[in-house]
Order: sequence, then C-alpha cells, then structure tokens
Amino acid sequence: MYSTQIPVKIVRSWPWIAIIASILVIAFTPLPLKASQPVARTVRVEARSFEFSPSVIHVEQGQQVTIELIATDVVHGIYVDGYGHEIIANPGQTATLTFIADKSGSFRLRCSVTCGALHPFMIGKLNVGVNLLFYRAIGLSVLAGLAGFMLFRPRNEQ
Amino acid sequence: MGLILGLFATVVGARWLDRHKVIEIHARMPENGGWTPADLSVKVGQPLRLRLVSDDVTHGFAVGQTAWEALDLYPGKPVETTLIFDRPGKYVFYCTRWCGINHWRMRGVIEVYGDASTMQNSDTTTPESPLYRRLAIDLDAPHDAFVIPESQPIARKNIALNVRLPAKYLLRDYYLATAPSSAWQSLREEPSLASLSDQQIWHLVASLWRRQTSQNELKEGEKLYRTNCAACHGETGAGDGVMARWLAASAATEAPDAEHSQPSNQHTPGETVIIGHSTVVPTDFTNPHTMLGASPALLQGKIIRGGMGTGMPYWGPIFTEEQTWALVAYLWTFQFDYSQVETNE
Repeated sequence: MYSTQIPVKIVRSWPWIAIIASILVIAFTPLPLKASQPVARTVRVEARSFEFSPSVIHVEQGQQVTIELIATDVVHGIYVDGYGHEIIANPGQTATLTFIADKSGSFRLRCSVTCGALHPFMIGKLNVGVNLLFYRAIGLSVLAGLAGFMLFRPRNEQ
Repeated sequence: MGLILGLFATVVGARWLDRHKVIEIHARMPENGGWTPADLSVKVGQPLRLRLVSDDVTHGFAVGQTAWEALDLYPGKPVETTLIFDRPGKYVFYCTRWCGINHWRMRGVIEVYGDASTMQNSDTTTPESPLYRRLAIDLDAPHDAFVIPESQPIARKNIALNVRLPAKYLLRDYYLATAPSSAWQSLREEPSLASLSDQQIWHLVASLWRRQTSQNELKEGEKLYRTNCAACHGETGAGDGVMARWLAASAATEAPDAEHSQPSNQHTPGETVIIGHSTVVPTDFTNPHTMLGASPALLQGKIIRGGMGTGMPYWGPIFTEEQTWALVAYLWTFQFDYSQVETNE
C-alpha cells in the first residue's frame, strides 16, 4: 500500500497546483497586450432634457476620441469625470471635444449646465478599454467555485 | 420743525429709492411664463437697474436694436445690470440662449418715455419703412426660380471671365431688389455676354452677389445665423435643425390626411408642447429653386416680419438693419461658393 500512496498524493494535488497557477495568471496578467494603433473615433451625442443618447460610450484605451454634442432643446453640457474635460452646446451649435482616452476604466459623464428639475440625473458613461477588473473577477469566482467543489466533493475512493 | 425735516427726508429718501431701486426679473422657459415682469418703463437718461434671475435653464438677456452685450443667465447665478436709454421708444428685450422650441417668444418690452423735446427729436429721425414695403414685395407669394444652375455657382470663376458689365449690375440697389434668377436672365440677354455659357453667367451672378458684401459682414452674418437661426434652419442651412423635428411634427399632425401617421419626433407621448398654430418645416436655404428666386429685399422682409403662420419668428424689433443685411449676405453662401475670393476691401 505504501508504494502506491505517494503517487496518489501527487495525482490528487495537481488540480490544486493548476488552480493556484490559474489564479495567479488571471489576477496578474497584464492584459490586453497592446493591439495595433487604434483609429480615431467620433461619437455623436444628442442631449435633451434629461438624457444623453447614446448614454454609454465605449472606446479603446489610447484612442483619440471626439465627442460631438448636439443640444436638442436647451443648453446642455458634458463633463467627463476623471478626465476633467467639459463642453457646452447651444441648440443649433454643435460643440466638439477631442481628447486622448489614455486612462482606462469607466468614467461618469454629467450634464454640466443646469437644464431643469432632473438635471442632476442627466448622466452617461464613458468606458475606456476592456473592463479588466470585471473579467478577472468573473474568472476568479469560477475558480473559487471549482476549488470549493474539489474541497467538499464526496470522497468515494478510500 | 421736526415735521418739516421729516417731510423733507421722506421726499429725498423716496426719490433716492426710486433712482436706486432694483427690479428683479425672473426668467423661465416660455411655457412656464417667460420673463416676469415683461413690461418695464423708465425715463430717458434714468438708470434702470435690473437683477436677472433664471429659474430653470440657461437663458440670456439682451435688448434689441442696441449694441449692449448679451448677458448669460445661469440658474443660481443672478446677474445685475444697469441700463440707461438715451432715446425714448419701445425697446424689446429678449432671450439669447435657446431654451426650447418657444425660445423666441421669450420677449419683453421696455418703454422709455421722455420729455416732449426729445420725443420731437426722435420723431424726425424715425427710420424709413423696410425696403420690402417700399418695393411693394409680397412676402407670402411663392418665389420659385424659373432657372437654376447645373452646379453651384463659384464667385471666383468670374476673375477668369474678365468681362465688362453695364454699370447698373454693380449698383447696390440692383442687388437689393433683384433675385439671382432674374439677374441671370438679364445678363443672359446682354449681347456683350453672348459668348459665355449658361453656367458662366451663373458664376458671374455669384461674383456680383459677392461684390455686395465683405468678409466682415459675412462673419457677422454667420455669427447671427449660428446663434439665432441654426436651431431650426440647420447648421448647414438645409432646414434640418434640432428644433425642426418639433415643427415637422406639428405640421404633420395638422395635415388632414396625416391624422394617423406617427409623428417623427422623439418626445414621449403625453408631453404637451405648445408650438402655435400650423407651423411649417423650416425653409431649406440650400434649395436653389426657392432661394434663387428670392431677392435680398424679400429675404430681409421675411426676417423682419417673420412668417405669417409658419412659426418663423419676427426679428424686426431685435436686429438692426445692418444685422439683417449681414444675415441676408450670409444666406447666399448656401447657394454660392464664396471661397478664395480675392477682395480689395
């Protein structure tokens, strides 16, 4: 019996080694590997009381982003949290904002000109790059589930 | 003694208060009341102190026919200003920031009264009636061009043509009273221009029109157009401005056979908007059929008087005559290519 015990231990522990390795990979891999130079992107945003359309904008990190703001009823503005850029558009006068999206993450867009009672709720979102934290969290949760299953699975043999 | 002193102090105090009182004007979207109060009166030469408060969105304050800079009124940031009028009359103050489809209705009146001598003075300097009236132009008649160019006429092409024109075509009065298509026809009938092609005649018309304006006037016209007209007539002049969808929707619902058609606007059902009766889709300034059949006097008349029952505001009490001509000059840039014109101004 002793002669077979050591190999069984090794066989039993290799899934743990794999899981720990996967955790390290998922949590710390510097993704994404820099893709080819992203092209400039122009987004046309229509603002009316009290919403932006589209309200969520996705861009690549490092991309040159141009936001064309069109106010369709009263004077509206956009303030990009985190970046600190602001534009104000009058109806009939399209305003443009061009900047390099060098910070990755998710940033709040707010109307920067008081435009009525629900003005504080006139918000949008700028997503720069892939939401790495989100995907890493998903990967780690799956692994945690797997590890839990392995720990508490019913042991039939021996 | 004390009584006399007290009386004196009251009279002086009342006069001082009268001269220094500040009138608070609230600005709201026109659907919610516009300016309150909207009627003011003041004596010539006496300072009119105003405290302007916006109660909802961004508004602006300016007085028509004057050179005073427009003030921006942001909610939560009251603005104080003092106006002194040196001439009696009725002045219109108006909102300068688009605050909805009825923005242009947001107007008020300041009546400036003065003594008889200044009144007399102003009567002698009353501006003459607008040109369209003197020319007896019917602003509501259709003005279709009977001939239009194959492609956009280019003002600078004329330099190469090197033609001698009868002097009457270069006169300011000729330009003001003539539609481009009429000018084209007159030029076509000139025997000295028989060698030119139809399109070359159009280039000639464009350059004649360009001669009547200057770079500065076009810039002024563009500024006025962008702030006052583009919201409906579109930034490119195509009649597709952001407010046009409201006007189009109201036009569609009022057409008898379009009762069941879905309005093409975006506002949510249940939202009521007062736009006025029978508005029409804003004019497309890039359409040569209507534009080339209109004379500058006709266009100016439409700006001054507004469109009867179309939803087009009247700008007569707001723009000075120079401003209306600058606007008209700018409108031709939607028809004629004025780029790279060498000017000797």
